[in-house]
Amino acid sequence: MKTPRVAIIIPCYNESQTIGEVVAQTKKTFAGQPCQTEIIVINDQSSDNSEKTAQKSGAVVINHILNQGAGAATSTGLSYAKQNHFDWAITMDADGQHDPNDALKCLNYAIKNQIDLLIGSRLINTQGMSKVKILGNKGLSFITWALFGVNVTDSQSGLRVFSKRALNTLEWQSTGYEFCSEMLWRAKQSKLKIAEHPIKAIYTEYSKTKGQNNWNGVNIVKSLVRRRITEMFE
Amino acid sequence: MRYLLLIALNLPVILIALVNALTQYKLKKTTKRHFTHQLIMWFIITLVLCGSFPVYNLLTSRPIFQSDSFSTFDIAQTTAIIYLIYLINHQRQRIDQTEKTLRELHQEISIKLSKD
Repeated sequence: MKTPRVAIIIPCYNESQTIGEVVAQTKKTFAGQPCQTEIIVINDQSSDNSEKTAQKSGAVVINHILNQGAGAATSTGLSYAKQNHFDWAITMDADGQHDPNDALKCLNYAIKNQIDLLIGSRLINTQGMSKVKILGNKGLSFITWALFGVNVTDSQSGLRVFSKRALNTLEWQSTGYEFCSEMLWRAKQSKLKIAEHPIKAIYTEYSKTKGQNNWNGVNIVKSLVRRRITEMFE
Repeated sequence: MRYLLLIALNLPVILIALVNALTQYKLKKTTKRHFTHQLIMWFIITLVLCGSFPVYNLLTSRPIFQSDSFSTFDIAQTTAIIYLIYLINHQRQRIDQTEKTLRELHQEISIKLSKD
């Protein structure tokens, strides 16, 4: 049986404090697993030392020429995985919010159950999450369901697993954080098999300052509503 | 007569929009979903246009809906609105396609430069 090739994609913007450790821990977790892995860091025009730190830790680094946003960085990573004929791709956050062991468990679950798009959900077990973040994420998941008819507990999770079919099919237009919801909508339109698997959320003092705050959520909702309405006229 | 003039002025714009949508679809520049949405949108506009005369007569025959008679200005205004809808729709599609091309270009360049 062919050893599956797995691309681990980490979009990165000014995460020199954590990216080295994230790459090193991920390498360690996936070493000895029955798959060939490659860690790809998409450097979205960081102004700090993220690029060199990621390279030193052993990741392949793709540098965006212009800062484009999390959605564009993820899209670049998945495009790289598709061009290089990877069988599976995993996306993770660069700020240390995700445990690489959870990424491995999600991958194994996706392979075993032939899932096209698996979301690592922080809201199945909310231990470690603040009430504000739980409320914000539940709110956005509700909006994702109301606008696009995709029912998931954690629509904003950055830990996702993609099958080869998803890599070949998925495309989205959003370049900002709203891509998380749009991706689910496009996956539904492409009739991909979507599922969730519980993961834990790791919040350090550093990572609490990262990610989306609830005010960003207002912008995200605006973008999603606009995209939904304009799609009707496309 | 005015009603026929309204239809005659607007039908060419609608036909051009439909032909445009069909051509884009056949040249594989747009998806089937996009083509279906375009068909539905222009079909609804045509329906509203064709139904405007009986609806207008119905409304003006009821005292509660006080309205002036259908004038030449109304015809010009309606034609201008439909033409603007066509222009906005067409330009938006071009902008979307350009944005998509730029995104893909940026992605490809970033990946190729990182390989070198």
